[in-house]
Amino acid sequence: MKLLIINGNPSPGNTLFEEFTRDFISGLRDAGHQVREFVLRDMKIKPCTGCFACWVKTPGICSIDDDGRKVAREFIASDHVIIASPLIMGFVSALTKNAFDRNIPLVHPHLEAVDGETHHKKRYDRHPAISFLLQREPFTDDEDIAIATAIFKRESINLRSTLGFIRFIDTPVKEVLDAINIH
Amino acid sequence: MRLTFINGSPRGSKSNTAKVMDYFIQGFLETPGNSCEIQFITRHRGDLNALAGIFSAAERVLIGFPLYIDAMPGSVKEFFESLTPLAGRCRNIELGFVIQCGFPETHQNRFAERYCEKLARRLGCCYMGSIVKGGLEGMAIQPKFLTDKYEYFFHALGLEFGKSGKLDPVLLEKLSRPEHIRQEDLANLIPFINKALWDDQLEKNGVLDRSFDRPLEP
Ligand SMILES: Cc1cc2nc3c(=O)[nH]c(=O)nc-3n(C[C@H](O)[C@H](O)[C@H](O)COP(=O)(O)O)c2cc1C
Repeated sequence: MKLLIINGNPSPGNTLFEEFTRDFISGLRDAGHQVREFVLRDMKIKPCTGCFACWVKTPGICSIDDDGRKVAREFIASDHVIIASPLIMGFVSALTKNAFDRNIPLVHPHLEAVDGETHHKKRYDRHPAISFLLQREPFTDDEDIAIATAIFKRESINLRSTLGFIRFIDTPVKEVLDAINIH
Repeated sequence: MRLTFINGSPRGSKSNTAKVMDYFIQGFLETPGNSCEIQFITRHRGDLNALAGIFSAAERVLIGFPLYIDAMPGSVKEFFESLTPLAGRCRNIELGFVIQCGFPETHQNRFAERYCEKLARRLGCCYMGSIVKGGLEGMAIQPKFLTDKYEYFFHALGLEFGKSGKLDPVLLEKLSRPEHIRQEDLANLIPFINKALWDDQLEKNGVLDRSFDRPLEP
């Protein structure tokens, strides 16, 4: 499988997170997957400005010429995208969210009904599964996880993808590796 | 009463968030003695700690933002992260949110609303509730009865808030309609939005025939 790991950890000093991600990626490679990792803190990705040029001026391409385009290109070329981020104030990092927002060129402005709600039409035939690899904060509780999980589910519907797994880095690497094969 | 409104739209002063909140603020200021300070997150991106400082010194705060892929825009998340040192320490702040989106159903915002309520609790703020509304993209092409409705309810919410310091639940509920859209109504609404909002802009830009382009095709 072609996998993309989007590493949205803002602090390289967070060694627990970095070591888990490193072991996870080498496990994926050992299992024969083709893996690419983007470390967002080393890339230049400006926030979306809400101009909608990617829908109405240059269909499918963001008006901002930076690494955000690279992430979107690799995103749509993958079978499975794993968003790896520590939870910060109960959600994925701002670094992650800024890169994620830059993915709207992957859908078409037109609406269609999906399970009785409006969503955007697909632009591409195949949209990847999206999974989340997270790190808890000291005070993360079940409610936080339920809130974030509900949003992740919505996000994958909205990008016309499917939600893969949601796992935390305090589980054994092997368990997360197994989860890849299920989804 | 003093209100601090923090506008988190990446479009800044030209946003739908600003447009509807202008009605709210007009209503709010009708009570003599009230005052409102407006801050834009976009203008503080270089130094969010300054904005965090303004937040921590405020009495009543509303934070407004558009829904970006079912959550707050990344730049609003940057601001939330700048509040990390304030967790549990904001007992004197009353905090509410304004969450609006492009899809016509208000329900689309409810998941982000839950997040915001939890964030308010995490900060230790007194949570005032949230103004939540779908269907605000393309106000310029929407029928007048709809834009009049936004003006009326945002103004009325601001007026009541200016008197009581509370977001009136009856007004919130009325503004939020439609929470969902019936299947048969979707069948009429979707082609209208696709044409009047998107195809017309694509056509004006001379790219209607390219709207389904796949420039990132692997
Ligand atoms: C990157 C991006 C993502 C968006 N995601 C959503 C979404 O998930 N659901 C939705 O209903 N609208 C979505 N919208 C539409 C905005 O919420 C809508 O246009 C809003 O009214 C913009 O408000 P503003 O002018 O205050 O920024 C998105 C817009 C952008 C630019």
